[in-house]
Amino acid sequence: MDDYKIKDYKSGNYYSPGSVSRPAENKSYGHKNNIFGSRDSLQQMSLDDRRNKRTRFDFILPALVILLSLFGLLIIYSATKYSMPNNVTDPMFYLKKQGYALIAGVVVFILVQFINYRLVAKLWWALLILIIALITVVLLFGYEVHGSKSWLDLGFTSIQPSEFAKVLMVFVNAAILSKWPREKTNTVSFKKVALSLLVAALCIILVMLEPDYGTALIFFLTFIGMLFLSGANLFYFFGILAVTVGGFFAAIQTGLIKQYQMDRILVFIKPDIEKQGIGYNLFQSKLAIGSGGISGKGLFLGRQTNLNYVPEHHTDFIFSVIGEEIGFFGAVAVVIIIALVICRCFYIAANARNSLGTLIASGIGFIILSQSVINIGMTIGIMPVIGIPLPFLSYGGSNLVAVFIGIAFVENVYLKRELRKDYEIAYDEFD
Amino acid sequence: MKEVRKLDSNIKTRFRFVIYFLIILVAVIALRLYFLQVMSGQIFAQEASELMLRSVNVAAPRGNIYDRNGKILVRSIPVPALAVDPRIVGGNEETIKILSDKLNISRHTIKEKINKSNISYLERIILKQGIDYETMIFFKENSSKFPGVEIINVFLREYEYGSLAAHILGYTGEIDEERLNMSRYSVGYEGGDLIGLTGVEEIYEQMLKGNKGKITYEVDPLGRPRSIIEEVLYSSGNDLYLTIDIDIQKEIEEILAASILEIREKKLPRSDEYYKVPAGSVVLMSAQNGEVLAMASYPTYDPSVFTGGISSKDWAYLNDPENLFPLNNRAVMGYAPGSAFKIVPAYAGLAEKIINTSRYISCAGTWYGMGHDFPKECWAKSGHGPLNIFGAIKNSCDIFFYQLSYELFLKNNNKDELLQKYCRIFGYGALTGIDISAEGSGVIPDKDWKKEYFKGQTAKTIWFPGDTVNMAIGQGDILVTPLQTALSYSILINRGLKYTPHVAMEIKSPGGETIINLSDKEPEDLYLEADYIDVIEEGLVQVVNSGTAAGRFAGFPLKEIPIAGKTGTAEVWGKQDSAWFVCYAPVENPEYIIVVMLEEAGGGSSSAAPVARKILNYLYGI
Repeated sequence: MDDYKIKDYKSGNYYSPGSVSRPAENKSYGHKNNIFGSRDSLQQMSLDDRRNKRTRFDFILPALVILLSLFGLLIIYSATKYSMPNNVTDPMFYLKKQGYALIAGVVVFILVQFINYRLVAKLWWALLILIIALITVVLLFGYEVHGSKSWLDLGFTSIQPSEFAKVLMVFVNAAILSKWPREKTNTVSFKKVALSLLVAALCIILVMLEPDYGTALIFFLTFIGMLFLSGANLFYFFGILAVTVGGFFAAIQTGLIKQYQMDRILVFIKPDIEKQGIGYNLFQSKLAIGSGGISGKGLFLGRQTNLNYVPEHHTDFIFSVIGEEIGFFGAVAVVIIIALVICRCFYIAANARNSLGTLIASGIGFIILSQSVINIGMTIGIMPVIGIPLPFLSYGGSNLVAVFIGIAFVENVYLKRELRKDYEIAYDEFD
Repeated sequence: MKEVRKLDSNIKTRFRFVIYFLIILVAVIALRLYFLQVMSGQIFAQEASELMLRSVNVAAPRGNIYDRNGKILVRSIPVPALAVDPRIVGGNEETIKILSDKLNISRHTIKEKINKSNISYLERIILKQGIDYETMIFFKENSSKFPGVEIINVFLREYEYGSLAAHILGYTGEIDEERLNMSRYSVGYEGGDLIGLTGVEEIYEQMLKGNKGKITYEVDPLGRPRSIIEEVLYSSGNDLYLTIDIDIQKEIEEILAASILEIREKKLPRSDEYYKVPAGSVVLMSAQNGEVLAMASYPTYDPSVFTGGISSKDWAYLNDPENLFPLNNRAVMGYAPGSAFKIVPAYAGLAEKIINTSRYISCAGTWYGMGHDFPKECWAKSGHGPLNIFGAIKNSCDIFFYQLSYELFLKNNNKDELLQKYCRIFGYGALTGIDISAEGSGVIPDKDWKKEYFKGQTAKTIWFPGDTVNMAIGQGDILVTPLQTALSYSILINRGLKYTPHVAMEIKSPGGETIINLSDKEPEDLYLEADYIDVIEEGLVQVVNSGTAAGRFAGFPLKEIPIAGKTGTAEVWGKQDSAWFVCYAPVENPEYIIVVMLEEAGGGSSSAAPVARKILNYLYGI
């Protein structure tokens, strides 16, 4: 324990951990600065200072997110200006729809800041029922797009409830895996792991009934990520991972996974197996991105994508448009900005000072991370072809609003962050 | 408390793990992008543009063809055509079915056309040229339903005068694969192009053809053009002006056809057999400079049957022996010339000093010059008595020429066969070089020819004096074309100056500027003795005035328009005699040379000379 030498910034003296006299909030968890930034600026402030700045808003996260979304609007316009749906002549058709969704997202973002995430998480059982209800309604009354019954017609607009279910599941599992009311410590017991696994499995099975395997995969990755960051014993983590991978291979062996699904998985390993068949999307996407070259063909000038050579170029293959139009530098910049958003989520998670907040923020981070990596990986041919939208950039109102709700709660976690340690506070809110 | 802190530090470590994992993922994506965009960017860009850009050629109109007076004979007219992209339509059964219904082409034929095309050189295939208005509208309105099907403009030939001058003009058709591989068509041609296949259309192909335009489109994955990247405008071909006078041509074709039908009504002398006259030809050439004013060949055909692709029915008709092969241009095919050829041995005899105007040879109807075992008969069985060269030509005495050519044969040395030498000087046995396709060179038999021709039949390979003797009267193995005959008389008229016969006068750009003037070519001087030719000409004048053709020119104003001519009646083994008549007028300052040749029509005097007279009547307005 002697390696813990902690500096009191007020006095400049070093304390060893365990000393009763020093203020608890000055403790650090690590030895040195970590990659979330300099040693938390919060730590450099006195308790009083921090109490005064308790409501300080994080501008980095919303700024990055708005930047990405506005860029997404441009790219969507570029991708769709020649390919409107039937009976539509307005080249800004998709741009406008996405614009409304963005406005809705921003409004939701602002509204969320007036509530406390803890209150929402407190109602986790209600949220769980909401997930089940949403997906059940979709299964009963939804309509099919591309073989998945995942759309619900609300009259004025259509939504994809499973997009919202992802965010809801983050809340439910964060509530389960975090410190429970009246719990002495926030260790992650077997009970918690089992319950959260049950919730995740329920969600996954429900969306697989649609069937929407892409969303199911995101559910799984988000859950496994949250489990990892909850501090649960790695035995659980690797156990679940091993069982899932094993189950996947068993499904291949027993023929539960159909040939066309296997083709989609194999096509990125052997992309030339069928240029006109399952490999067509991938071939065209790689061609579009590759032909963009170093500096791209220019915004709005991506011919390959604009002319419909790349299918679904405004939704799942939006990154092909980015790669073609703004080239290597632009594409890498977009990837880095997305990575920064994810980093910011994890930064806020790490500094939430509250296991519930940590898990909510990191859960949203994992949704964005897994969707981004799978989506971009798919377009550049290093991931199987799985229909998942790229957060902030792909066309799709549900996806945008849902991810904005998620980001809003990450911001809320920051805004309402706990300034005391878990063990120093009684969970008034939960009692 | 310790456990809690341990857990917290544990979580921090896990956060670090996640961030490292994120960095690795970003690095992998960036590396992959580097590979795709920076390292292979150019390859992908190339591949992408190949995929997206499609060039189509825009047909350019061929130049028009005019006669010597500027009357239009052949023009190019734009018509809609239906073309398909074989890569898109190839596998689309439904589209093929609709195309088959609408175009009245069997599905099998369409598929054959699509599969036959070598896609590497064909961007699209024209399925039908000259589609009707309704079909055009149907496919234009439903273009989105039939990707790869296009309505394009092509230019087709329209013939102002129908079948007139068909053998000179020739016809056009789609270029075939064999021609595409020829160096002549290596630049600027692709499958489906219209090219000249015969006549001046073929000879002046390079001048007549326009330069195609080219439009490079960007196409969507269904092959539908979305935007034009580059457009190169087409330019029309050059116009061709012929030496033909279409009015004269029309008259001559009518005279020829009418005369042939007339002769077919007649019976052979002392026989019940009718003259067959399957074919005939007239060549009217300017005596001054080798310009062909008219050239008729009977039977003829209508070149417009070839427009838009000839139907198999029409093609079968044109190639059926019963229809006497109308595609053949009789004016450039070889026939035994009979006595019309006698100017050559006459000149040879004079030039080789075997005869002169005072040498008389006696004709008793039968000639035993080669010994009593080899008697040769004159056409006049009763004989002509003693004749000098004038009388021999006037009466077309065979025996005079037997004797003359026999002496020529005897004078042969190892180097030269004298009669053949003079044949070649007068243009026989070789192409005249006229600018229409499929010209025949005829045959001038000699020792070498006979060896080659009868290879394997040793007994027949020896050249006998009888062969030379036969040849002197235009019989035996000799074959000459009516055009060669006209050329030989032209050489005679011009006293040894050889003007290459031609039908093209000049080539003008679409703007009307003369690019090439084909008329003022320098003649070749053969250095013939004008004195000898004067002698022959005198004989030819007598033919018309008091000789073999005199009866046919009774009543013709020979004083005003003196005519020189020569009849010919060629015996063809197994067939009726072929009739020839060659003449030119006026003798002092000749304008026209007329060669009339009628297959299986009997005597030159009785059948061919009247044709020539009708033509002269027309030319001089008598």
